Amino acid sequence: MFTKIVFIKDTSAGPQDQTRDFYTRFLDTVRRFGFLEQTNVVRVADIGLYGHGIVVHILPDNIVYHNVKDTDIERIVENSVKADKVLEDLVFQYQPKQNRLVLRNCGKIDPESVDEYIQNGGYQGLKKALFESTPEQVINEIKTSGLRGRGGAGYPTWLKWTQCRSVPSSERFVICNADEGDPGAYMDRSVLEGDPHSVIEGMLIAAYAIGAAKGYFYIRAEYPLAVQRIQKALDQAAQLGLIGQNILGSQFSCNLEIRLGAGAFVCGEETALIASIEGKRGTPRPRPPYPTTRGLWDKPTIINNVETLANVSYILANGGQKYAGIGTPKSTGTKVFAVTGKIKNSGLVEVPMGITLREIVYDICGGIASGKDIRAVQTGGPSGGVIPREHLDTPVDYENLQKLGSIMGSGGMIVMDTDDCMVDIAKFYLGFCVDESCGKCAPCRIGGYQMLKILNRITEGNGKIEDIATLKRMSRAMQKASLCGLGQNAANPVTSTLKYFEDEYREHILEKRCRAGKCQSLARYSIIPEKCKRCSLCATNCPVKAITGSKDVAYSINPDVCIKCGKCLEVCKFKAVLKV
Amino acid sequence: MSKLDRASLEAFQNQPAGQRKDYINVGMSACGVAAGAAEVYQVFSDEIRTRNLPVALHQCGCAGMCYAEPLVEVKTAGLPSVTYGRVTKEVAIKILDRHVTGGMLVNDAIFSINTGI
Repeated sequence: MFTKIVFIKDTSAGPQDQTRDFYTRFLDTVRRFGFLEQTNVVRVADIGLYGHGIVVHILPDNIVYHNVKDTDIERIVENSVKADKVLEDLVFQYQPKQNRLVLRNCGKIDPESVDEYIQNGGYQGLKKALFESTPEQVINEIKTSGLRGRGGAGYPTWLKWTQCRSVPSSERFVICNADEGDPGAYMDRSVLEGDPHSVIEGMLIAAYAIGAAKGYFYIRAEYPLAVQRIQKALDQAAQLGLIGQNILGSQFSCNLEIRLGAGAFVCGEETALIASIEGKRGTPRPRPPYPTTRGLWDKPTIINNVETLANVSYILANGGQKYAGIGTPKSTGTKVFAVTGKIKNSGLVEVPMGITLREIVYDICGGIASGKDIRAVQTGGPSGGVIPREHLDTPVDYENLQKLGSIMGSGGMIVMDTDDCMVDIAKFYLGFCVDESCGKCAPCRIGGYQMLKILNRITEGNGKIEDIATLKRMSRAMQKASLCGLGQNAANPVTSTLKYFEDEYREHILEKRCRAGKCQSLARYSIIPEKCKRCSLCATNCPVKAITGSKDVAYSINPDVCIKCGKCLEVCKFKAVLKV
Repeated sequence: MSKLDRASLEAFQNQPAGQRKDYINVGMSACGVAAGAAEVYQVFSDEIRTRNLPVALHQCGCAGMCYAEPLVEVKTAGLPSVTYGRVTKEVAIKILDRHVTGGMLVNDAIFSINTGI
């Protein structure tokens, strides 16, 4: 049994990780003080802090020292390891930036065991709803919490429920929208796979609040494990009487069922999703009437995102007041983001609303992997936009992101560094929307395609300066005239990159240059004669024989023949090939 | 399993959640499985059985640190709960040898310290 456990990690971004050397010195000092038997000194791979020099974390006192120098070792061992004193000058007041409400059980309990969910406070919210509140009180609790839809638009959840409840009808439906399809976003999958019962509980509460007796999970078939776990959870819940007739012995009955989506992105749009559940082709229809008045089989229906429902079960169990205390006044609670791209530690983070992008990127995720400069952060997937580095200090909430020309979206966050070309990014996202357009309305079907053609032209070096104005005009038309959110927002990546990076578009068009070196057709390769060792490796590997030279003359590339494949750059051992 | 009503649910909820004493949690969401969590789980399962170790093996969802999958959380008496990352078969054996049997944390593999002894 150890009295002290000491964790050590070098968190500076230097080329050489000093952890091992420091560890050895620390261990020697502990040995010299004769405290080796009682201390477990451990090198860790990640300590959750970045750019703080050498970090020493001591348990059970839970002291974190940062920027520790070799000269500090002795006094740390003497005071904090052998005794329980704290060295105030070295202490780092560690404040956890993450706040896990939705992911409260993810990674802790066995998702395939309902027992563990119940023992960790599960189905408390349902119990409170069924036995201690009327449906109106449940809606009121959600109103107090200030919860807004986590699918991206941020519509107040209580308002949606009230609207649905106020429509007279013999039947109502609840749908859980688990058709998550943004590139780089996987928050919903993690919740469904890691804590399926929290979503089921949220759905039951929603059904009770609006008076529905039937609910559907709309999950895409590309999530086989999520489907399997939800099915298993539903079976367990049915066995325990948590779904079905007279739930927990109350008067309330509700059945839940899974519907598989075939993976069309547009089916995440609520009217298309309803059509898909009805067995029709997944295309949207004009709104209003909204699904809350005429939804599934023309009955009032609410459609909530997975994360919203996981929040609902938390709010009912812990109270709306407590939830409203987290985040900002207008955007309460937390949001799960899937941080990917050029980031050091990609993964899921759940943060209170109002945190800045900088904190997410640098403090939680450790900054840019390559060590290069950050250029922009893309939020909201194909319907969102890019946020340039100048705006990294903006607090993240629904309104602020909208002001910057992006959206919260479902929570995908793609970090880009100086190697990313903004025109190329716009092209990628627009291409995604063009592929996924259902083709029902002309602005989206034709507008998207035409804009993509222009972007392709620009990245191939054939752009005209008028193209920029045309792109802007077409984006406006798509925004105004498209039938559903997919078309209305498809141009967002183009508008937002144009807003912040128009000079980059101009460079592509006027100078035929891509500063990130991403656009292959604009790249120019040349060989620096002074660096060329005349090994002929590039000439041998060139697929079109564009490189000539000999043992006596430095090799050179004939630009008329070169197809810009980049093979010469790849094979050259002397860094003699230059790409501009 | 009999159906729960209000009273039996309450009784269930009030059961101490801390029935887990020493445990190993392997993150088995699609992300973990893709990174090799299933093989790691198998190694733990086989070794725990053959060595007859007093530790419970569970699967769990994604803990969020996707860059360090497969993730394995280990809690044994006298040591804090820690999450090991990028766990391979070799690291899994090390965890059993040093951490579970030897009572010492394994070097260079911990990605998160979940405080509390």
